[in-house]
Amino acid sequence: MSTWTPKYRLAQTLGKHKPDRPPVICTGGMMNAAIQDVMSESKIFLPAAHTDAEGMASLALAVQERTGFENIGLPFCMTVEAEALGSQVDLGTFACEPKVVKEQFASIREVSLPDLDLVVNRSRLELIAEASGIAALMRPEVPVIASLTGPVSTAASWVDPIRFLKDLRRDPQGSHEVLEYVTEFLVRYLRLMVRKGKASAIAIGDPTATGEILGPKIFEAFAYPCLERLAQAAHEEGVPLIIHICGDLKSIQAPAAALSGDALSTDSLVSLPHLKEKYPHVITMGNVSTYRLERDQPEQIAAVTRRLVSDGVDIISPACGLSTSTPIANIQAMTLAVKEKDNA
Amino acid sequence: MGSETTILERIAYAVVAMDEDNSPGLCQQALDEGIAAVNVIDGGLVKGMDRAGQLFEDEEYFIPELLLCSDAMYAGLDVVRPHLPVAAEGEKTRVVIGVVEGDTHDIGKNLVKIMLEAAGFAVEDLGRDVPPERFVDAAVEFNAEFIAMATLMTTTMPAMERVIQILKERGIRERFQVLVGGGPITGAFAKKIGADGTAPNAPAAVALARKLHRSAA
Repeated sequence: MSTWTPKYRLAQTLGKHKPDRPPVICTGGMMNAAIQDVMSESKIFLPAAHTDAEGMASLALAVQERTGFENIGLPFCMTVEAEALGSQVDLGTFACEPKVVKEQFASIREVSLPDLDLVVNRSRLELIAEASGIAALMRPEVPVIASLTGPVSTAASWVDPIRFLKDLRRDPQGSHEVLEYVTEFLVRYLRLMVRKGKASAIAIGDPTATGEILGPKIFEAFAYPCLERLAQAAHEEGVPLIIHICGDLKSIQAPAAALSGDALSTDSLVSLPHLKEKYPHVITMGNVSTYRLERDQPEQIAAVTRRLVSDGVDIISPACGLSTSTPIANIQAMTLAVKEKDNA
Repeated sequence: MGSETTILERIAYAVVAMDEDNSPGLCQQALDEGIAAVNVIDGGLVKGMDRAGQLFEDEEYFIPELLLCSDAMYAGLDVVRPHLPVAAEGEKTRVVIGVVEGDTHDIGKNLVKIMLEAAGFAVEDLGRDVPPERFVDAAVEFNAEFIAMATLMTTTMPAMERVIQILKERGIRERFQVLVGGGPITGAFAKKIGADGTAPNAPAAVALARKLHRSAA
């Protein structure tokens, strides 16, 4: 029997030790793999499983089993954080992922910072940690990745996002205070997912904190310190942190590469080999186009995936959020393409 | 003539400098000096917004800056609008715009809306998470020339194709120019689903709409 269990392989890779081959994972959260095909096959359905710990655990296990991804990824949405803070959320349908319907505050100035204990207790966070703990118990050889919505995106789901972006310039002091609070909230959630949820890695997806939206100055001043704080918190808990940055990395490449996260995951338009060449210390992750995953044929997906493996991408994963109507055959083609030499 | 240029320059500068506090006063001053409302908009506010758009393309400005420039522009526009000839609104080229169903990211859409309005288009904003039928119904209702759809997510891109299908099913595809945009949208995708065009950012979207409008006319 191989010592290369999925959990060991991911830990080695994130620890910068060369594995037998790259892991192929899908973090959950923004990169949710609970697609319609998996739900239909397993007869465990969303949105019900968003609010039922056992259902959530069972669905997460079904995803891992049926897709071939080498991790369990929880939760299945990126609304948990904003919901806990007080925004109004719609948990979606079978085909449609949950979304924030109304942010709690219209501007940074209006924000009142609630007691963190209250926020953590009144929300679905405990339920997700419970689901995660169950899944971890059922598959001890598979890593559980807890996927958190990043600080800037969480803040922009708590405060009206357009106003929030303006307030970053108009009210920098207030924005810093809100972001610091949101980050401390995420630190609590992170700890809960490690301690109760038995998560063996944390992933952060922060789609509002991109170079294209914020630009390098605001990214460095506002997003960077929050992400560093989360990396520090993860390391204090003894788990690695994966950071996903959406969009074209170009204008924030240097600060993104300087983050203390253990892997940097990017969108499909970023060339990971180029990134690696420029920043050899960075563990690269990605970046099979989710558009192709939905539209192409399995052979094409396998070819794209093999290319990433031969390019030396450290961890293979989808590049962005998956469509819930992505065919399972395409995801299987992706995971099999990574594993095809396992028994050779 | 010299003073007209100066005050309009100052208005344009207030927009570029994100100076929402001073832009209305400067616009009022220009009107008081007898400059026509249309000129205050075109030679001052829009010129400033065009420059802001250029700075955005040059990656000097990013979304927060562009949003604040647009606030300064709108603050000035509020002062000038009552002085516009009544007929002007009716002659504008009409656009319905929205973020497709399943997606609630509307930053890019808002920017395109702002830049289109600055460029003189009449824009009906359908908001975010807009179902495909709604785009079509609104375009008919609003008598639009353009249907502009945005998404930031790869997962919701198929909804754009669905809108074009509905237009075809109803036999009204030729009545509208369909523009698609957003992070993951490429020219190849736009072509594949039968859209009339796509642009990588808000200023480019305005240029595209102008070009298509001329070629259709």
